[in-house]
Amino acid sequence: MTLALPQTVGIPVVRARASIWRRARTRESATALLFLLPLFVLVVALIGYPVYRAVWLSLTDKLVGYPERFVGLRNYAYLAQDDTFHAVVRNSLIFTVGSVGLKIVTGVLMALVLNNVIRGRNFFRGLFLLPWITSTVIIALTWRWMFDAFPGRGFFNSVLLDAGLLRRPIAFMATPEGAMMAVIVANWWRGFPFFGVSFLAGLASIPRELYEAASVDGASAWRRFWHITLPGLKHVMIVTTLLSFILTINDFNIVYVMTRGGPGTATQIFATYSYQVAFGQLRWGRGVTICLFVVPILVLGIVLISRYLLRDRK
Amino acid sequence: MLESRISRRSLLAGAAGASALLTLPRPAAPAVKKGTSLKLWILKTYVEPTNKAIEASAQRWAQKNGATVTVEYFTFEDMQTKYVAAIESNSTPDVGQLETSAPARFAGMGQLVDLTTFAGQIEGQVGKAPAAVRAVTMVGDKVYSLPWYVMGAFWYAWRDVFEKAKVKLPTTFEEAKQAASALNRPKDNFYGMGQSWNRTADGYGVMQSLMYSNGVGWAGKDGKYKSIKTPAMQNVMKWATDIYKEGIQPADTLTWTGSGNNENFIAKNIAQTSNGPSITFALENALAKATDAKDRKAKEEALANHVALPHPAGPDGRRMWAIAMSFGIFKTSKDPEAAMSLIAHLLSPEETVAVMKDSYGQFGPVLDKARAASKDYFNKNDNYRTFGRAAEWFAPTGWPGPTTAAAAEVQASNVLTDAPAKVIVDRWSVDQAIEWEDKKIKEIYDTLKG
Repeated sequence: MTLALPQTVGIPVVRARASIWRRARTRESATALLFLLPLFVLVVALIGYPVYRAVWLSLTDKLVGYPERFVGLRNYAYLAQDDTFHAVVRNSLIFTVGSVGLKIVTGVLMALVLNNVIRGRNFFRGLFLLPWITSTVIIALTWRWMFDAFPGRGFFNSVLLDAGLLRRPIAFMATPEGAMMAVIVANWWRGFPFFGVSFLAGLASIPRELYEAASVDGASAWRRFWHITLPGLKHVMIVTTLLSFILTINDFNIVYVMTRGGPGTATQIFATYSYQVAFGQLRWGRGVTICLFVVPILVLGIVLISRYLLRDRK
Repeated sequence: MLESRISRRSLLAGAAGASALLTLPRPAAPAVKKGTSLKLWILKTYVEPTNKAIEASAQRWAQKNGATVTVEYFTFEDMQTKYVAAIESNSTPDVGQLETSAPARFAGMGQLVDLTTFAGQIEGQVGKAPAAVRAVTMVGDKVYSLPWYVMGAFWYAWRDVFEKAKVKLPTTFEEAKQAASALNRPKDNFYGMGQSWNRTADGYGVMQSLMYSNGVGWAGKDGKYKSIKTPAMQNVMKWATDIYKEGIQPADTLTWTGSGNNENFIAKNIAQTSNGPSITFALENALAKATDAKDRKAKEEALANHVALPHPAGPDGRRMWAIAMSFGIFKTSKDPEAAMSLIAHLLSPEETVAVMKDSYGQFGPVLDKARAASKDYFNKNDNYRTFGRAAEWFAPTGWPGPTTAAAAEVQASNVLTDAPAKVIVDRWSVDQAIEWEDKKIKEIYDTLKG
């Protein structure tokens, strides 16, 4: 005979279990929160507060040494009408798109070559990483010297003159186009190894069988590259490009060391113009606003790419 | 042989200087408590011995007073960044060396101690600076810093090149341009001039000399905005852009950064350029390091052939913009009395002359008695005689008015050199560029109220 427990007895047992469960969960949550707290503090202190300060400063007429006064969107309105800033936006986009574009192409080439090198692969991988690990200032000074117009000093001019291909040196950096080309080349040279190494890792994850099957089906090398390699590298390429785009559009060192934004304003970009306004003219509010202008573009890019990647994953 | 001649002469000059200095007064300084600790910020220039001499002078004061002085350097490059960061983080030094525009800017921010009374005492003992230099240290009738020296820029030329071509050394900007045309040999990669309108003092400094010598100022004597849309400014802009259009300069001149003109002049790629005495320092230094007789001969010739002239004059006279260095005391200083004592020590004629002697001519004292004591030193040769007169021709940022925060921002915003660059690079007309420049200057004055 089994005794049925009265329902009034069962309810307190269930409640007691639920209560224990809740307490345990609360304890767990508290522990989790405790562990998360340092990270939360770090995120607020290192990301949240600076971003808040930057946005706030952009809404003030803050001058160095003076208290800030709220001026609403006046800095944004000023920059929207500032002809120098228009040039800065144009230059920054040309500089970034040009540099990143070159990095993608050469990065793919580097990865393809290194992927097929059997002997000394690690040596070449290390060699190609040299530009990536060299100080940016050294890189900028070196490229400045290479583009120098004086024979016997500028590398390109010396070589071309000695080879009899030129009669008079070319002043590469004297024109807006030449100066922009020079800073793009220097930025490209510094950044392409990052692309190359990332793409090489991406290539390693593409199954060999795909290439073998394609070869059996008679696909040419170009078609194998176009239909297997590129799609296989797509995700790595998008992430690398996005990261490089963010780093390049915020670059300062190369342009500042090589051209200071000149000739005229031909290579003035967001960071160098912001520096001039904030530290030269002492207008911090306006200087911060120059940099914040780029944030919506970057946020939009990040959102679009994230959605694209997530959609692919689904 | 030559070395022994020089050393004997130096010895005699040194002895004469030392005996003259013994008769000079040392300014009375406020008392210093034992154990006082001060932070001193000074400019680090290309001439390393000067930096060391200033530091040594500060340490002499510390030793004498049982105090400590921590010397920190800033360069032309990071001067603004370092002060801006310190002001915003409330970590300014006790005593800071201030360049031409800094006293007006920092005093306006309420960062500097009012030194009017102290300046009066110092001036009573070691004399005043020329009025134009003194004006840099004042806002209204209050004094916020004490002037020490002027680091002028000069018009460097190769005498042998001029003589060979039978061309007269220039005394005006127009003559300099004509000489450049006469000396220009692009086929040999040798150019008549090298004047960059870049974002360094080599650019905006010469532009100001050119403007002021043409009688053009963007502010009146009262320090308020004045339009530059004048025929005189058109002359300025014409000169500034013609030297590019006429092909009398290397094609990449506009892209030179701080050292481009030094390097090209020393390498004898150009016949004339504007620069501080660091060119003379480099040539003197190169001679001292000559490796053999042939090398020594070449370097002696280079040293003898380089001429430092005052900046050329314009139709309105000769006015040279220069870097006028002064000392200010920041309000964060815990011991302003000790800071005044340190400044009084550095400004004394004997300390000033001691530093000056290690400056290769770039340190032109401005206070009366230090100037008098420096006469022998600057009598060394024609170049040094010119260096010694830098303070006489000095015109401050914002001439003919006082150096104000707005005038300083005009210089810092680079509009002065961006305007000719717009004509040279972007093919604007001279009138368009002047219109643009004037608008930018007015905007600065409107927002800072002069």
